[in-house]
Amino acid sequence: MSTSQKLELPLEPQAFAEDIFRIVSHPVMQEVYRFRHLIAKAVRDFLDGEGFVEFDPIMVGPVTDPGTRGAFEFRIPYYGREYRLMRSGILYKQLLAAAMEEGKIYFFYPNLRHEPIDAAKTGRHLVEFVQIDLEVRDADHFQVMKIAERLLKHVIDEMKRYEDRLRKIWEFFGSERESLPDVKLPLKRMTHREAVELLMKHAKDDKVLKELESRFDVKRPQDRLSFKAEIPWEWEWYLSKIHDQPFFIHDYPRGARGFYDREYPDKPGILMDFDLLAPEGHGELSSGAAREYEVSRVFARMRETNENPELYRWYLQFLRDHGKPTAGFGIGMERLVKYICDLPSVHLARPAPKIPGVHSP
Amino acid sequence: MTDYPIDEIFRRAKLGEQAVYPPKDEFGYNVFGADVYTRPRRFLLLDDIVLLPPQFTPERLEKGIELLREPLYTDVSSETSVGGFRVRMPVVCAAMGGTHIANLIGPKIARGCAEMGVVYSLGENIAAIRGYDERLTKQPSFKERALAYLENLKDGYGGLVIQQSVEDENLKLWEKVYTDPDFDRYVEEGLIAFEIKAGQGAKPGLGGEVLVSREVALRIKDHYYIPEDPEKVVKDYYERHSAPGTFTEDILASQIRLIKNNFPRVKVFLKTGPYRDLDRVIEIASREGVDAITIDGKEGGTGMSPIAGMRDLGLPTVACLGAITRARDREIRTSLIISGRLYDGSHVVKSLALGASAVAFGRPLVYACMGSIPLAPTFIRRELFRNPLLRELGKIALRWGVRGEGCTKGVVNYLKSVENEIKMLTSALGKYHMDRLSKEDVGALNRDLAELFRIRYVYSAPEAPEKVIQRGIELS
Repeated sequence: MSTSQKLELPLEPQAFAEDIFRIVSHPVMQEVYRFRHLIAKAVRDFLDGEGFVEFDPIMVGPVTDPGTRGAFEFRIPYYGREYRLMRSGILYKQLLAAAMEEGKIYFFYPNLRHEPIDAAKTGRHLVEFVQIDLEVRDADHFQVMKIAERLLKHVIDEMKRYEDRLRKIWEFFGSERESLPDVKLPLKRMTHREAVELLMKHAKDDKVLKELESRFDVKRPQDRLSFKAEIPWEWEWYLSKIHDQPFFIHDYPRGARGFYDREYPDKPGILMDFDLLAPEGHGELSSGAAREYEVSRVFARMRETNENPELYRWYLQFLRDHGKPTAGFGIGMERLVKYICDLPSVHLARPAPKIPGVHSP
Repeated sequence: MTDYPIDEIFRRAKLGEQAVYPPKDEFGYNVFGADVYTRPRRFLLLDDIVLLPPQFTPERLEKGIELLREPLYTDVSSETSVGGFRVRMPVVCAAMGGTHIANLIGPKIARGCAEMGVVYSLGENIAAIRGYDERLTKQPSFKERALAYLENLKDGYGGLVIQQSVEDENLKLWEKVYTDPDFDRYVEEGLIAFEIKAGQGAKPGLGGEVLVSREVALRIKDHYYIPEDPEKVVKDYYERHSAPGTFTEDILASQIRLIKNNFPRVKVFLKTGPYRDLDRVIEIASREGVDAITIDGKEGGTGMSPIAGMRDLGLPTVACLGAITRARDREIRTSLIISGRLYDGSHVVKSLALGASAVAFGRPLVYACMGSIPLAPTFIRRELFRNPLLRELGKIALRWGVRGEGCTKGVVNYLKSVENEIKMLTSALGKYHMDRLSKEDVGALNRDLAELFRIRYVYSAPEAPEKVIQRGIELS
């Protein structure tokens, strides 16, 4: 990290093991932590104003969500059985949104994911992080996208009040940003197919390919674009970089997501889901979807994701007897802080960051 | 088991490259070797196909010009690529799971396969029954078997294929491997594949079935179907059943996509069985971009299968090979691996000529390893001889008396004999590269097979020259 050398404060994940106090007490880092607090407060103000009920996270259970991109789950002994630490609160979110009279719930949900070691290179993945995780009953993905964009606008507008302080953080980390965007609603929306088509057009430009190859150490990035799969990290970065306002990608192909993202009943193979991306290369802030809630569909989808239904007994029973349509999303708290503060890496948004493969405090 | 050519495999495990020649009389092998002409059986076999060397060999001429001398069989390159892995010969070690015998000698077979540069597969339930990194029984753990292979690979040959069954999913085996620093280097080097298990030869449509000890039964009873509750019924061994897993076309396609999405740095393999809708399975899996499909014919072996299943479930191996030939006719280029009672160099060369990319060996490698047990470590011998079935095998093994080398050497010798045979036969066909083998190199002794593969029936008159020319044009 050249910026940190210039600033004579080592900020690599490993440096936290050397002298964590020196880092967390640094005036700029303290400011980052204060902004995390301000952002959290803005989120709570917004959601409380919308009639949401906040819950405390449920940390352990017999099963956690299936996870994606190869992350493993942490396990703990539990009175003769093996329980899992939650990789996300998705199953409990659906339960509580269906159960609560308000039909609107949220968590600040700590997630633990044993990510593959190559995720350490993205600057966007942490083993331990927090999601602002919400779920709404009788809603679909388009309805919760509207909540997501208003929530993000609210946070950005609130933070604009502190731009003088933010500028010092931006300057410290070598950011060229002058101000936060003046967010205009509705945000731009494109389908996964449209996004891939757009990127395929840009993939004809040799300069773009060369930059992706060297920046992300990938070979032939143009071959990694597919209508059937997630957008690869390097292309997501690129797509984000060519935008100056947050934007949505929706309608991902089935196979790219867990069993809980609902498939359009009339568009087989396409999911009723979305990602909310920050501009300037920061990339994905949030993922959300309308949920599969009919037990027969969930059962079949579990086979597709190679899940053992036996483990999900409580969840399948709940869906069979009380399942209701819900939709929701989770915003990565650290990614949101990274975006607002324009940090070079997401690990700087936490005081004791856990990076895949790094043994830090 | 008695009609399986165990003696022949033991002989190869002992003699290595020399095994391609007729047996010496002093071993009394002739009695067992007499089946060169006859063999009692119910199905047509690859033995009903012969190789047809030509008099005119333009490719040998080319090779001679390249070498500036007359080419020999040793000039044949058996090197090829299977599912994206570079291999020294078109052979794959079929997936063997956590069963007693397969697991016990697993690391020995793994070392032999690594030395010979062939792909090695780890079957289901190993981590669940034997432990992932720490041994849960006295037997080797999953990682011991995997690393025995990976750490002994050389010259960039080989690749490790890892299966995950429905019950292994409880362990999240693939996620565990993918995030394990000990595997990261090999993942990065592209030496790992994850294999969806959707069938096996001897029991298509049935799940894994094995006998497990009481100790194991007590530990795994929450995750598997065990008809007799080991807490209530005390006995030595318990049947343990696992689910076959439900597939639809969508489910298969999605599982492939999910692996590609979740584990972008590994290759994706599919293991399927002798199903009647095999053509469709190959179609879908290829469309979704799997790196290789292993098709296990009904003669394929297994640790424990119902007798009725082995007798009457599924397509014979040659019929599965027919599906491979049809796939090539449809221009499907995915690596297609065939297995099911195939055990020598002829089987490999014939399979390749009919469109397969490689042949998977299961039992041959187990026996080749066991053929060397008289000098295997004592603990392995003791284990093997406890089981009456294996005791019987032990007697044959003793008769062959492979001396001094141990199980790994038996596997290496066996594979060397196959490699030698592949080179000799290919050279006899006037060819020097595996990808040059084609339908013209084989003929059927049986009209049904000639029709199935659309190859020459050896007892009919050869085609008129103009027809041959016409076919040449169509092929090119």
